[in-house]
Amino acid sequence: MSVHENTYDSTLGAYLLLLPTLAAIVAFLYYPSLQTLRFSFFQTFLFGQNTRFVGLENFTDLLGSQVYLTSVGLTMAFAVIVIIGSLVVGLLIAFLLYEVSDGKAAYLIAAIWPYALPTAVAGTVLLFLAHPSVGIYTHYLEAWFGVEFDWFTVGWQGFAVVAVAAVWKQVGYNVIFMLAALNNVPESLNEACRLDGIETWRRLVRVYVPLMSPTLVFLVVINTIYAFFGSFALIDLMTQGGPTNATNLMIYQLYRDAFQFNNLGLASAQSVILFVLVAGLTYVQLRVSDRYAQY
Amino acid sequence: MSLDTEDTTAGTRERELLSATTGTRWLPAQWRVHLGLIGSILVMASPLLLAFVMSTQTVPEVYEITNIGIGSDGITNYVEVFTTYGMGSYMINSLVMSIVVTAAKISVSLLAAVALVFYDFRFKNSIFFLILFTLMFPVPVRIVPLYEMMAALGWTNTLLALTGPYVASATAVFLLRQHFMSIPDSLVESAKIDGVGPLRFLWDVLIPMSRGMISGLSVITFIYAWNQYLWPLIVVSDQNKQVVQVGMKYLQSVGNAGQTDWGLIMAGAVLTLLPPLLALIVFRGPLLETFGLSE
Repeated sequence: MSVHENTYDSTLGAYLLLLPTLAAIVAFLYYPSLQTLRFSFFQTFLFGQNTRFVGLENFTDLLGSQVYLTSVGLTMAFAVIVIIGSLVVGLLIAFLLYEVSDGKAAYLIAAIWPYALPTAVAGTVLLFLAHPSVGIYTHYLEAWFGVEFDWFTVGWQGFAVVAVAAVWKQVGYNVIFMLAALNNVPESLNEACRLDGIETWRRLVRVYVPLMSPTLVFLVVINTIYAFFGSFALIDLMTQGGPTNATNLMIYQLYRDAFQFNNLGLASAQSVILFVLVAGLTYVQLRVSDRYAQY
Repeated sequence: MSLDTEDTTAGTRERELLSATTGTRWLPAQWRVHLGLIGSILVMASPLLLAFVMSTQTVPEVYEITNIGIGSDGITNYVEVFTTYGMGSYMINSLVMSIVVTAAKISVSLLAAVALVFYDFRFKNSIFFLILFTLMFPVPVRIVPLYEMMAALGWTNTLLALTGPYVASATAVFLLRQHFMSIPDSLVESAKIDGVGPLRFLWDVLIPMSRGMISGLSVITFIYAWNQYLWPLIVVSDQNKQVVQVGMKYLQSVGNAGQTDWGLIMAGAVLTLLPPLLALIVFRGPLLETFGLSE
């Protein structure tokens, strides 16, 4: 079972070493997750003091609610945009880093620093720079392109600003993993491409991307989870779900139902739906990759 | 990674092809790579550069939108945001939380990894799977019961609530396990023959041999903990105990006579970014190595 021939064979010892981890995952991960499922069958009132078993009513309420269904649709759109945006930008930057011959180390750190960027900082900084009345970005956008940019009232603009912030924050992470994958491309293959005179662009799309596919699959999964759960701070700081619910992503709706309206049962049902969606998407992504990725 | 291959290796035809495809069209290929990198790095860094410049400005200077010169409130803004507006104490709270999470997560995961690699016991694979599967339960999936649990334990507004849910880690256990598996069997054998117990083995052999991996994991965990927003927002209501990310939210309302003091808020954003950014820059070597990327 073990890769090591010589191992310690005290079962008790092993469990003692595992105890802190197991205690923590049971107490803070498995137990609350199961509780979430249980809560989702209850209705809560009076700040959670009273509960009543309602079966699947929370779920049927949610699936019958236009606001919630819109939130699900928005979250899907947001996820697709953020995944594609951060992967494409990440790939281009990773490829440039791979190709550059001088100053690689300096470029690398200058390109991946957003990995350390706190979401709350990304949100606050863009809230100010793109502010409809005092933002410098808004000023030049309107001056140069003659457009009206008021994302505090125009829904799709608010959505776009939050998506840009989310991509900005995620690019560093993707670049790190993509560059690691590119570095694993055998040098002989590069040599062959060069001798065949394959264009840079085609080399990236036809040769490198297929070779990187395991990493890309991993990144799609990670970026999906990030898009679903990681953008909360952006919305809370920049739009509070507005304008007119245009950035009311599922995570924000859940937060509002749980901690502003104290509707704990309904919020738990939303947690369950989020879990099922993300677990389902992860499963599908892994299945699809099994078929197409070249390991 | 120059595209101009040695003349001696390529024939005349190939050389012609190369110069035609790898771009003496208007710029040598490497120049275009440099331009692309500088361009994308500037785009990614510009919000922060602007935020930094504006963090030195007074309210009237900020409201003069196109003014991107260093302002006259540089030191004042930082001092004021640090002392009067509580960023100092938020940062200390964040620092304590991040250091405790990092130390606890690494220690607990080291013990678990030792058990998973150097012991033989029943259900080993199931337990490993159980630890890995926690990746599917991010905080939002279990947030309502987790909050209820903290309230029931009387842990709200304490360090225990801020750090407890982050102690168990699938990622850290996974990476340390991978790393330990690469340690030669002979070392374990001789340790056993010399009667060295598992904890001594961990302390004297494994930890010194895994310094790079442990520092890399520590930086990842520190940045991750420092950047948490949703959980502290919910579980800490006492402003004096709050962490710096949520402190950014409190800062949003700072201003006079309906004019937000954006200079001050940007100073807060810069301060919030500094610790994780410094950690990334100082420990970039082990960090990148942990991600499978060496400089």
